Amino acid sequence: METSIARFRGKDGTSALVRGVGYALIGLFALFCLLPFILVLGTSLTAEKTITLHGYNIWPRDFSTFAYKIVFENPDMIVGSYAVTLCITIVGTAVGLFVVAMTGYALQRPDFRSRNAISFLIYFTTLFQGGVVPFYIIMTQWFGLKDNYLSVLLPGLMTPFLVIMMKSFVRSIPHAITESAKMDGAGDFRIFLQLILPMTTPALATIGLFIAIGYWNEWYNAMLFLSPNMTYRPLQLFLYNVVTSADFVRNSSVASNIQPRDMPLESMKMATAVVATGPVILFYPLVQRFFIKGITVGAVKG
Amino acid sequence: MKVRRILSMALAALLAVTLAACSGGKDAGSGSDKGSDGGSSPAPASSPASSDGGATDTSKFVTVSYVMLGNKPTNGQFEKVMEKVNALLKEKVNANLEIKWVEWADWQTKYNLLLASGESLDLITTATDWLDAWPNAQKGAFMALDDLLPKYAPKTWEEVPQDHWAETKYNNKIVMIPEDHYTQWVNHGFMYRGDWAKEFGITSPIKDFETLGQYFQNIKDKKQGVIPWDSEGTNLEMFDGYVTSKTDAISLPVSTGPIGIFYAPSYDQRFTAGSPVFEDTFVDFAKLMKEWGDKGYWRQDVLSYKGDAKNAMEAGKSGGVQHHTQSYLGNRYRMDQLQPGSELQFFPWSATRNNLVAMSITHGATAVGAHSKNPERALMVYDLLRQDQEIYRLFNYGIEGVQYVVKDGKRYRPDGYDVQRDEFYSDFWGGRVDKNEIPDGTLWDGYQDLYASYDQIKKPYPYGRFVFLKDPINNELTALTQVVSQSLPAIVFGKAGDPEKAVNDFRNQLKAAGYDKIVAELQKQLDEYKKLVGE
Amino acid sequence: MESVARTRANPKASSSLGSRMKLFWNDRTLLLMCLPAIAFFLVMSYLPMPGLYLAFVNFNYTDGMFRSPFVGFDNFQFLIHSGTLWKLTFNTVAYNLAFILFGNALQILIAVLLNELRTKWFKKLTQSLLFLPYFISFVLVGLIAYNILSYDYGLLNSLLKTMGMDPIQTYSNPKIWPYIIVVTYLWQSTGYGSIVYFAAIMGLDSEILEAAEIDGANALQRIRYIVLPWLKPTFIILLLFSLGGILRGNFGLIYNLVGANNSVLFNSTDIIETYVFRTLVNNFNFPLGSAVSLYQSIFGFIIVVSANWFMRKVSPDNTLF
Repeated sequence: METSIARFRGKDGTSALVRGVGYALIGLFALFCLLPFILVLGTSLTAEKTITLHGYNIWPRDFSTFAYKIVFENPDMIVGSYAVTLCITIVGTAVGLFVVAMTGYALQRPDFRSRNAISFLIYFTTLFQGGVVPFYIIMTQWFGLKDNYLSVLLPGLMTPFLVIMMKSFVRSIPHAITESAKMDGAGDFRIFLQLILPMTTPALATIGLFIAIGYWNEWYNAMLFLSPNMTYRPLQLFLYNVVTSADFVRNSSVASNIQPRDMPLESMKMATAVVATGPVILFYPLVQRFFIKGITVGAVKG
Repeated sequence: MKVRRILSMALAALLAVTLAACSGGKDAGSGSDKGSDGGSSPAPASSPASSDGGATDTSKFVTVSYVMLGNKPTNGQFEKVMEKVNALLKEKVNANLEIKWVEWADWQTKYNLLLASGESLDLITTATDWLDAWPNAQKGAFMALDDLLPKYAPKTWEEVPQDHWAETKYNNKIVMIPEDHYTQWVNHGFMYRGDWAKEFGITSPIKDFETLGQYFQNIKDKKQGVIPWDSEGTNLEMFDGYVTSKTDAISLPVSTGPIGIFYAPSYDQRFTAGSPVFEDTFVDFAKLMKEWGDKGYWRQDVLSYKGDAKNAMEAGKSGGVQHHTQSYLGNRYRMDQLQPGSELQFFPWSATRNNLVAMSITHGATAVGAHSKNPERALMVYDLLRQDQEIYRLFNYGIEGVQYVVKDGKRYRPDGYDVQRDEFYSDFWGGRVDKNEIPDGTLWDGYQDLYASYDQIKKPYPYGRFVFLKDPINNELTALTQVVSQSLPAIVFGKAGDPEKAVNDFRNQLKAAGYDKIVAELQKQLDEYKKLVGE
Repeated sequence: MESVARTRANPKASSSLGSRMKLFWNDRTLLLMCLPAIAFFLVMSYLPMPGLYLAFVNFNYTDGMFRSPFVGFDNFQFLIHSGTLWKLTFNTVAYNLAFILFGNALQILIAVLLNELRTKWFKKLTQSLLFLPYFISFVLVGLIAYNILSYDYGLLNSLLKTMGMDPIQTYSNPKIWPYIIVVTYLWQSTGYGSIVYFAAIMGLDSEILEAAEIDGANALQRIRYIVLPWLKPTFIILLLFSLGGILRGNFGLIYNLVGANNSVLFNSTDIIETYVFRTLVNNFNFPLGSAVSLYQSIFGFIIVVSANWFMRKVSPDNTLF
């Protein structure tokens, strides 16, 4: 079977053309995505003075690892930040993914009468948000979550988008499967856990990836709720502080008393970006295998 | 109510689940020590002293928080210094000082949220010119201190004269403690290279915009690859500079976004509201800036440029930097190291016609939070930070021998001092006093002459007790702020096309936003203020 | 299925309390399964929602959010006062529409093409690369853009100059900024966004594709008649979602690319958020922020409810609620 398809493909001119276009287009776009990153990398390895004189460059003109030296001066900070972000990401993604999947399954069941009401209840929150003041007061004064990692973990568990997305993914599994399992006397939760979950790996991988990326990129809640008195704070907040406070120190005319510090500002920003972003390249291939698995599950099923 | 309880229970359950899931190896410490630091027992227990005249009760150990602006130092020196500070504080007033840092990234949001949230804060860094002290006082963020100060911060209470206290009052109540005994100058001007000026035949110090223009043009002609002023697009001080240099107008304390546009025509007419934008001066200014912009005295795309003129100057790529006296002194020292012989000079805007007003004493100040649970102890701690020489120096400079050494009565860095490893700062900007300072030996020697020249011409700050109440014209002021922040930058950098037309458009937009109504209201309040100060 | 139809058809049966309770009881497991999510949204989103009332008060900390003096629509006035509300709304909507249309088109294209490719390492590598821009913060994106586009020092102009062409004045030419902003957006979010479509394609029964292939359908035909229709519901859901935020601009992107001062460009780059930011800079004001947010919410709400209503008529399976 496989070989006959392969043979068939080889003969088909249009398909070959589509593939050719695909390679070219995706290759080019990938390069386009990579270029600025190379610029970041190049700049991070350039001496500060050269940046001031000549601007950014793809190839470091005046090679220097000074910025990295400063970034790693306090390796604890980076390692600690990584650990915090990783822990929050893993726990948050696991819990969030499970809840989202469960809800998504329930909400797409045509025989679930409250599904529209609940869907609306969830969707409505994307339109109307209370704003930062009440959210801040509720999180810090009511629940006392200031300087507590939960203040970052909880808000990132799910978004209405992910729940609705999950719902539409699961809908592609025929309802007949649920119905026949029900005939056999299986409960709703068991059907979800043992039948549906294994069939939705691509969906789970997608949603999980989104939740994880959300946590990985999170800095706003961390900025609001985690004060500098926390020794270790999420990675992106660390990066954000490096990048923006340097700007502030330079441009501010309000606070008159900021000491000039000997920092390679530009290259340090870029070096921090590289350190915080680089490992993400490993992130995606990890998830990718689940996408491929999804295909085989589908094939076996038929 | 019931709903809320159910909700909190549901949340608690959720928390329990996630907590259990993530209990591995993370320090939940900072969450738990919160409850024990005195926040748990409400005020009545510790404040009988404030009602009766009895001796101050310090038997209960409390933690006093202090909101500071800045990024917490991460090299460990801060903790070492605070340990010593806290040992002294415990011994003297049985208290512990905890700094709540508001980091620079998005600091306005964090600072204002902190005040709005109703969190119990003890000491708070504030300022009337850059930290919204009045709006926050108006919103009830600060505690009235009149009764507390004489008893709990007696030395500071004595030190600050009554007319200074008058400048810290909102609704006739003292709401902050001014940093009024600390000498610093934050009047703006332009820093330029003395060696180059000499080379161009500009032998006497630059004192006006014409000579500054000559200096710029010479750089353009003779210094290949140097931008006369490699400014970032956010710096609009040239506007204030031109007004100060060409007229006697003095700026009124009304914020209109990136830079204030309301001025009184002169010190003598300081209770008259207006704006130089509607004078011919402004047209001249717009024309000159257009000319300068066209000649390439700054980048062609300066308005979107976010770089750093100071960095460029230190690399020899910018002919100068626009900033204030205090940063000039720092830059002078650095330039002497980095570009030896550069002889960095300063053209304060006031140099042209001696138009200089002293600094407001509330450029730095400390308030006590309205929800503070230990205002008495907070003030006692503040009094020590400001008045106790040992604590003062620890808190400001760090540990002698590590962060600084004293030679001939001046402060220097110790040998082998490493910025990364040894740097310490506390950003204590709300209560420094000259009497406890050790002069900085690394400061450029000429600073005393500069200060002396300012002292000769300065006029006292006339608006110390003036609080502009925005409520009646809030919408107009918001609209006007928008117009200023949208249209002024392009004029200041000569990028708005024909200058006369740009000025005309700008004026019309200001009028449409409600300029006249604001000026009328401002005038009304200035008239009342004039009566208040008895003139 | 049948039971649903019956209860729908007979409103009397469901209106009596007893039978309604019974229906809930029948669905108890499914309800329980939704409970954590419902609790989450109640706490995280509905609990703070009364805070929108802030838009109608003159907020002071002593009285708090709900006892501060009521001022009606005063906080909204500055939006109308400026006379630019229409232009800002237009710009914001136009940018978002461009993001939605071009974004989704490119995402679908990439996902569909990726599915056709057979070289494993190439797929893995390119997909990882497409993801990279999503992890670079806006602040850095702004810095990088300036260093590419700047007149005197930019990479672009030095490239043009070496090729003997005239340099371009990017930062004083408002006409090209919509392109720059949209391209930057696509650069940053295409890889991330295409994942949704890619995953949807993965859910497609591969047998159908294989059967089509054996029947002689070429790649274009397969895409046209099988893959694209399969992606339609996903697209509609994404569309409806984006419509709700049609008035919420991409502040981080535009602010960092253009900056707060370059008024030469504002005519074509200013959106509601950047405008509000300039207004509030140095004048912190929470109620004004709430007022703007409320305006954006109501606008989005109206659009989404109409779009959803329209969808219900056209393709009832693809509605949001």
